[in-house]
Amino acid sequence: MAIVQPGKRPSPRLQRSKVLGGKMVKGRKATNADLNVVPMVDMMTMLVIFLLQQFSSTGEVLYMQKDIKLPDARHGQMIEQAPTVAISADQVVVTGQKVADVADLDSDAGYLNIPALEERLREDKKRWDFIHQSDPNQKWDGIVNIQADQKVPFRIVKRVMYSCGVAGYFNLNFAALDIGSGAAAAQLPAP
Amino acid sequence: MAGGAMPEQGGGGGKKKKKALDAVINVVPAIDLLSCLITFLLYTAVWTQISRLQVQQLGTGAPEPLAADLQQKALAVTLAVGERGMALSVGDASYDIPSLGRSPEGVVLQDLKSLDTRLKALKGEYPDQGSIIVTAEDTVPYGDLVHVIDACLGAGLMQVSVSGV
Repeated sequence: MAIVQPGKRPSPRLQRSKVLGGKMVKGRKATNADLNVVPMVDMMTMLVIFLLQQFSSTGEVLYMQKDIKLPDARHGQMIEQAPTVAISADQVVVTGQKVADVADLDSDAGYLNIPALEERLREDKKRWDFIHQSDPNQKWDGIVNIQADQKVPFRIVKRVMYSCGVAGYFNLNFAALDIGSGAAAAQLPAP
Repeated sequence: MAGGAMPEQGGGGGKKKKKALDAVINVVPAIDLLSCLITFLLYTAVWTQISRLQVQQLGTGAPEPLAADLQQKALAVTLAVGERGMALSVGDASYDIPSLGRSPEGVVLQDLKSLDTRLKALKGEYPDQGSIIVTAEDTVPYGDLVHVIDACLGAGLMQVSVSGV
């Protein structure tokens, strides 16, 4: 008697069957496995739509800093590119460069201006004048962004404002967290 | 039947071959495109919405107002912010808006709702009025100043000037 491998041994009639015979025949498995990518495409599409809604063409003008907590506002406008003065509880920074310590500003209360800040802003204004010297139609708008912590007292902000004004920056943009859309949604009547 | 609608295939055998009706769309380029888009949008996403409240400061190099503007600004509206509350001056009249006390941390709580009501009443009475001068004491926090300016802008007084006391 021939030696056969152990396992199921269907009868010849069953092996010939088109319905049941296929299950008994050991064949090679296909090496190409089909992967259903439709859910992945759906998810990616949703992600793209969400990110497109978040997209801002102006980019990030002001960066959130750890030591500066901004107050919130409902009626703010879109922020625009301008020199930025950041005032935290400890220091005053102009576009990444520290110009004064808040403790020093508190101690010499006799003067209003901050010389280092003035100097830095004057340099920026000179650069702007040089760039636009051949364009008489371009008028100086004197815009500066002020980004201060919500607990910073007005006596510090006032000195920064004064220094900005002396340097030629008289249009001040106070930075605040925009809660306009959220507040508007909250004020809507419930369905 | 669907098979009958298919055009006959050539061939000498006389057998009719049926074309598969299920079309397979190659989604690989779509996935590539979406991946690139997601990477770009994630890189450029701005998660914190920062807005600006535009104000002018009095004096210190600001351009002088024109005569026409001065005529429009005949009504002087001044809002003084301090530790005791706020005082709104409209021409000769003056309205006090006392503070709501202090928070447990010792911060003065300004009555912004009353201010909002008062400013809206002012705007209703003088619809052409668009400017206001906000003065603040040295101890007023930046957060309170921003809230007061925000209330002014919300009431329709778009030209806000800030100065110290």
